[in-house]
Amino acid sequence: MSDMQTEIKELNLSYLMLAQRMIWEDKESSAYRLGISAQLAEVLSDLSPGQVLKLAAANVMLCRARFDDRLILGLLTSHARGNAMAQSHTAILLAGQPVEAVA
Amino acid sequence: MRNKSVLDERDEIQTAAELITLGARLQVLETETSLSRERLIKLYKEIKGCSPSKGMLPFSEDWYLGWEPNVHASLFLDIHRYLQQHTGARGVGALIKSYKLYLEHVAASQLDPVLTLTRAWTLLRFFGSLLKSVRCTRCSGSFIGHPLTATRGYVCGLCKPPSRAGKSRRMLAAYSEQAVPAG
Repeated sequence: MSDMQTEIKELNLSYLMLAQRMIWEDKESSAYRLGISAQLAEVLSDLSPGQVLKLAAANVMLCRARFDDRLILGLLTSHARGNAMAQSHTAILLAGQPVEAVA
Repeated sequence: MRNKSVLDERDEIQTAAELITLGARLQVLETETSLSRERLIKLYKEIKGCSPSKGMLPFSEDWYLGWEPNVHASLFLDIHRYLQQHTGARGVGALIKSYKLYLEHVAASQLDPVLTLTRAWTLLRFFGSLLKSVRCTRCSGSFIGHPLTATRGYVCGLCKPPSRAGKSRRMLAAYSEQAVPAG
């Protein structure tokens, strides 16, 4: 297995484990933080450690960039007016984006 | 005398305590819980160490339309809407969760929490009648507007800030601090 594949696997594993911990602590707030629906949060939180390990071993990343929009990417990297309001702008746009849900 | 179970009452006290810690005024507590005024005042004193401030809530819907308040209030409302649409959070629970997420955001962005809990609560009550959502035609973000705000061609305060916006002494000071390399 290449180094990069090992790193992807590790990232997948940390992502899934962190997401599970967040959801166990507070399902609603973590749905907002993760940008997913409550149903998907439930599915993730129900995964057994074995299932998490199996899922993480994929050769593709399991979390997706939420800033795939040119506008949001521009805002995230803009420093023109001080970063603080740009961050709020990003947060407003992210809150309004469609969520990842169970199909 | 209302017939209440002890467990229900425990939940209500917990909710009230959380609201008080987040800065709620007495009117908010009276509306959101069924606890008696006396009990709420007692709880308030125990948590805050002082009596709740008296008098009416002074807020008008115009406050939410000012540049800086509008950004803060719009973000809170967008978080609240997210929770309503995508999770099971409702009512006072949704208020508390979205306000906490808002506080988290301002702390992370090193902003002042311009929107108090009581104002956030008032916003939810005003929304629909005295205030509405408008979509920015440039960034497509959802912002708070007056019911008479023209929806066509609306551009939000972040895409097109007024020339004075964000130039208060406080914000300029904060900005120049950022510009100086950390030493």
